[in-house]
Amino acid sequence: MPVIACAETAQRRTAWWLTAPALGLMVLILLIPVVIAGVLSFTDYSLGNDTFNWVGAKNYDRLFSRSTYEKMFIATFTYVVTVVPLSVGLGLGAALLINSMGRIGDIYKTIYFLPVMATLLAMAIAWEFMLHPSIGMVNRTLEMSCGTILEIIPFLKNGCADRFPLWLGDKDYAIWVICFIGVWQGFGFNMVLYLAGLTGVHRELYHAAEMDGAKSGWERFRLVTWPALGPTTVFVVTISCIRAFQVFDTIEAFWPQGGGPNKSTYVMMFAIFEKGIQQNLIGIGSAITVLFLIFVMFLTLIQRWLVERKVHY
Amino acid sequence: MADLQIDHVTKAFGDTQVLKGISLDIADGEFVSLVGPSGCGKSTLLRIIAGLEGQTSGAIRINGQDVSGIRAADRNLSMVFQSYALYPHLTVAENISVPLKMRQLSASQRLPVIGPFIPGARNRNVEIAAAVKHAAQTLEIDNLLDRKPGQLSGGQRQRVALGRALVREPAAFLLDEPLSNLDAKLRVQTRAEIAELHRRLGATFVYVTHDQVEAMTMSSRIAVMMGGEILQCDAPDEVYNNPLDIRVAEFIGSPKINILPVEASDGALTFDNVVLPTLAPKNLSGPVRIGLRPEALRLAGEDAVLAGQVVHVENLGSEIFAQISLAGHDGRVTLRAAPEQRSSLYIGANVGLAFDGSAALLFGSDGKRIFNPHTVPAQSEVA
Ligand SMILES: Nc1ncnc2c1ncn2[C@@H]1O[C@H](COP(=O)(O)OP(=O)(O)OP(=O)(O)O)[C@@H](O)[C@H]1O
Ligand SMILES: [Mg+2]
Repeated sequence: MPVIACAETAQRRTAWWLTAPALGLMVLILLIPVVIAGVLSFTDYSLGNDTFNWVGAKNYDRLFSRSTYEKMFIATFTYVVTVVPLSVGLGLGAALLINSMGRIGDIYKTIYFLPVMATLLAMAIAWEFMLHPSIGMVNRTLEMSCGTILEIIPFLKNGCADRFPLWLGDKDYAIWVICFIGVWQGFGFNMVLYLAGLTGVHRELYHAAEMDGAKSGWERFRLVTWPALGPTTVFVVTISCIRAFQVFDTIEAFWPQGGGPNKSTYVMMFAIFEKGIQQNLIGIGSAITVLFLIFVMFLTLIQRWLVERKVHY
Repeated sequence: MADLQIDHVTKAFGDTQVLKGISLDIADGEFVSLVGPSGCGKSTLLRIIAGLEGQTSGAIRINGQDVSGIRAADRNLSMVFQSYALYPHLTVAENISVPLKMRQLSASQRLPVIGPFIPGARNRNVEIAAAVKHAAQTLEIDNLLDRKPGQLSGGQRQRVALGRALVREPAAFLLDEPLSNLDAKLRVQTRAEIAELHRRLGATFVYVTHDQVEAMTMSSRIAVMMGGEILQCDAPDEVYNNPLDIRVAEFIGSPKINILPVEASDGALTFDNVVLPTLAPKNLSGPVRIGLRPEALRLAGEDAVLAGQVVHVENLGSEIFAQISLAGHDGRVTLRAAPEQRSSLYIGANVGLAFDGSAALLFGSDGKRIFNPHTVPAQSEVA
């Protein structure tokens, strides 16, 4: 017995030694910054100042009372709530279609994955040209429908009679354009994750489902594919949520000076950047950062819970 | 209930010919076992019958109707997969109920959440639950109904797979090694259950197995498959007593049949220059082989035709199997002896063996059976 106990202690000590570098780095580059941000969010610190004052919860108070920040929350949640389901749904749909194809599937796989690999900043410039109100490809194309039967669609009719939207300059459209680009850019990534998940579906299960009388593709999907993709889905949704909360580069590329028309695309990441870096208001920037971390942490906890509870058999 | 007709079915995966023209008629209510070594195409044939795999040529007919264009779900067959193929996210009860739900509930009644409230769904669900419970009780898995397949042992999963197949009353059952993972006791018991079920339902069964005992005890007929062909399909005792091919003789029977190379000339057979009591057709000459079941051999004194030395003895209590190395032959032969003869069967003992001439099975050099004059069946063409 003592020998075993001794060996166990030695083993435990070795384990600590081996994990120490990773733990140290984690504390240094992850936990300490988070703690510092937490502390700073209760101050009025600015970079370069020697001192700062404690302001209590004033920064948070401001976050929940000023209309700018109300717009920030609205923009952020609109983006997350639109982009996550769409990019997950499209990713799954594309993965299922590509999976059912043979060789040609690889071509589609590449096409859909291209936006993921491309830099969003460069892509944003391309989109900016396309969406230009007068010379952009999008409005030019829409104008071609004027005078044709397509004018029965109210949107086109109004556009032809008056003018087509300004897209990036219109406060009603700007956020949706950002959402569209987010979906376009993000669903390829989800598709690849789902394709990986689909390779893990036991083929014989489809045969069993067929023998059991599941005739339609929908029945087979419900009986075999969807349950098998459960773990993938939890992962994909979490990753998509976190990525959606982090949206920044398109907005910075389109409106370097502050969050789109009437601050309609003033998302959290941009607010952190604007307050903390551009205006050197570290206190309020930290407060938004802390809030952001809480959201992400919350999502991660939900994911862990789901993974442990529901999707593992 | 249905009869099945397999008509010159071939199957090739790329260049490999897996099935080379299988023809088999299975009558309504028959229990046919497919036996054969691993990789001979048993599962492939079963999947072609089920419609999960297309044949390269040939036809499958169910009740006389060619089912080539009919998808698996519409052939009304039920199947146990060799790999169980249970739905991992469903409990045992849900797994067993899937085939009933798919076929007895309408699409709207199957919907999640609101499905159970659609008119008529309630009664059906009660019936289905009762059927599931009954199937589970038969297979002794009623205490596992709330578990997921991941929480079951291999044998338990196999029983769930069996339950899922047996809960319906299809035109025919296709079972792919459904008992291979059960322990000896449960296997005997489940074997009896399946045989009983077959009698009760009168359904057609196609049963793939490695286990000869299963094949011998349960089947109306055994089809011995090898290398993508059916070598013989006959009643169990016929396959055992009258194998038409040396490979069938070697495959069926445990311990294995003894094969001796012999020389035929002028209607007589000689082994190591000793004339054997078996007659051969007059026109036969040259090297042939005879097969002797272990129980056809007996210990003999003066009248012995074979002599050898005991090299290994297995005592099973009710019988003894002795392996004897024959003089002038490098293989061994197996002898089945009664327990009383134990004293003379010790390792190193020199023994003499004799056999009844009519008990020997004669095979030509091509491995096909040659009927010798003793056992000429009435319809045989051999004079
Ligand atoms: N999809 C496939 N592609 C290529 N070859 C295959 C395929 N499926 C089966 N085979 C081959 O066909 C042959 C027969 O396979 P099958 O599964 O029918 O064997 P089996 O008789 O059921 O064997 P076992 O007793 O081990 O289950 C094997 O040699 C196998 O390698
Ligand atoms: Mg098999």
